[in-house]
Amino acid sequence: MASVAHPVREGIRGPNIASADVQLPAVRDYEQVDRDIIATLGFTKKWFMGLSVAVLAMLIGASAWIYQIYWGLGQAGYEPPVMWGNFIITFVFWVGIGHAGTLISAILFLFRAGFRTSIYRAAEAMTVFAVMTAGLFPIIHIGRPWKFFWLLPYPNWRLLFPNFKSPLVWDVFAISTYLTISTTFLYIGLIPDIAVLRDKETNPMRKRILAILSLGWRNSDREWRHFAKAYLFLAAFSTPLVLSVHSVVSFDFAMALTPGWHASIFPPYFVAGAIFSGFAMVWTIAIPMRKWFKLEHYITLNHLDATAKVVLFTSMVVGCAYLIEFFIAWYSGVRAEQEFFWNRVFGQWWWAAWIMLLCNMSLPMSLWSQKLRRNPTWLFVLSLFINLGMWFERFVIVVPSLSHEFEPWQWGSYAPSWVDMAFLVGSFGWFFMWFLLFVKQLPVMAIAELKEIVAPRVKHGHGGGHH
Amino acid sequence: MQGVVGAFHEIDTTVAAIEDLKKKRIGEVTVYSPTIRHELEHAIDAPQSVVRRFTLVGGLLGVSFGYWVAIWSSTYWPLVVGGKAVASWIPYTIIGFEVMVLVGALSTVAGMFINSRIPRLSTTSGYDARFSGGYFGIFIACDAAKAGQAEELLRQHGAVEVRREA
Repeated sequence: MASVAHPVREGIRGPNIASADVQLPAVRDYEQVDRDIIATLGFTKKWFMGLSVAVLAMLIGASAWIYQIYWGLGQAGYEPPVMWGNFIITFVFWVGIGHAGTLISAILFLFRAGFRTSIYRAAEAMTVFAVMTAGLFPIIHIGRPWKFFWLLPYPNWRLLFPNFKSPLVWDVFAISTYLTISTTFLYIGLIPDIAVLRDKETNPMRKRILAILSLGWRNSDREWRHFAKAYLFLAAFSTPLVLSVHSVVSFDFAMALTPGWHASIFPPYFVAGAIFSGFAMVWTIAIPMRKWFKLEHYITLNHLDATAKVVLFTSMVVGCAYLIEFFIAWYSGVRAEQEFFWNRVFGQWWWAAWIMLLCNMSLPMSLWSQKLRRNPTWLFVLSLFINLGMWFERFVIVVPSLSHEFEPWQWGSYAPSWVDMAFLVGSFGWFFMWFLLFVKQLPVMAIAELKEIVAPRVKHGHGGGHH
Repeated sequence: MQGVVGAFHEIDTTVAAIEDLKKKRIGEVTVYSPTIRHELEHAIDAPQSVVRRFTLVGGLLGVSFGYWVAIWSSTYWPLVVGGKAVASWIPYTIIGFEVMVLVGALSTVAGMFINSRIPRLSTTSGYDARFSGGYFGIFIACDAAKAGQAEELLRQHGAVEVRREA
């Protein structure tokens, strides 16, 4: 049968995303994307070992929670004046970690930053699990977790609502909205990829489950048209949401008159810190993942280089905020504020402040070197330092302020108990347990979006794959 | 649904087939592709998605409800807290904003589901498992009288497989 002549069309030659830095030259065609990403779902010994360690750490935290419920909140090392310690520090830490996922998936999507494609699925999953982890801490901190629903904005039997002017109620709105939207965003993006798994699956039971999860997705033009629009609007909603959530978290502090807290710089300072720490956690996850799953040709050195530039930039924003805090304290002329900031770096908690400054301000300056930006080992090591530094940043915000308020009779100390530390360990176990379970059940990279980067096959002209 | 489905391995042949089908008007065309491709969107030239209307209505309802619940509950129990006005607009903007995002985003998802006609129990006729992998697909909804013409056209444009769906 004679075939009709096809003119070579402009625009059918290359991938949808034009940026040369994020092309995947080692990926030949769509089938290879399917093969490579589905191959990551196979169970390995290393994965079982990792999961075992995570579950063990989670059980340590769970045991500490049972112990605390039985013996009371006093077991967590809190005594006046420091009634916010590890729980709030770790809460803010995990909310911050969650921010990079939405930044990568939503904000970088709106800015058409091509380097997001290879890493955004892992970052989105990280967001959901980080917010799930963060959400536990206010519940743990209330001491009687079975009363947690009192936090929710519903009225009592006399129609008295929670106080909508309270930052703690804003927190409930912000965190619950953030968890809902980030989970929705993750799931919507997953639907076409679950359809890929469904179509490749041979086990009938698993195929049926995947068919339900994929909602009968067929990759039709109608579905893609509405999907693209919905994804765009979800990204557009998530962008201000991600900025608002950590701003609201910063209001927990900034709305109080406590020295070191009552500053208008807090919302941008917290948002920049959240993005900084979140990107570091993306490295902590993505760098071992690219090696163990053999995904070096998907997460290339160009991708790592691009993320390193974001980390370098946010490190400078955070460093600038640290220095401006000192300037504001000096310029305010308020003696309590000035003495507090002197105390922050030379007082009781000097070591915590210097760990923060070293990890968050100094070490990231190494990223001015392109050689180090393209060195995965260094980026992984640096990510651990940044994670440490950002936990200590929250420690420096919470503990020194509460232990050194206006009057000397208010001054006190804080010593985290083993229960406190067990919760911290448990939070990492809980987070990594969910993440490890995720990577073996669902694609850790967005198959459909990766195919946008790969040039499609063409019969006439120059495209990707075979001609 | 009755019709003819063709599987294509190359995007340029798929685009050419879509354009030809649109000219000849054999039947309603559904195009399957493993990912979003601008070339296919241009060839299909479908109307703009109406999901944006769901987003707008959801967002407006959300922000209205967020402000309303905060203001109404404050005025129902007019307690002065922290020296602030009983109904304080500025802090309530946080409630209004968060509820706007929540309802707006969920309405967007509802709009996508309704307009994409998902969830559905099966992938229905005309679909082939290869369309989520490396192949593009075209389904033409038509009766038996036009099926021969549709098959002929798909083969002419280089479909690697053409079959009728009952």
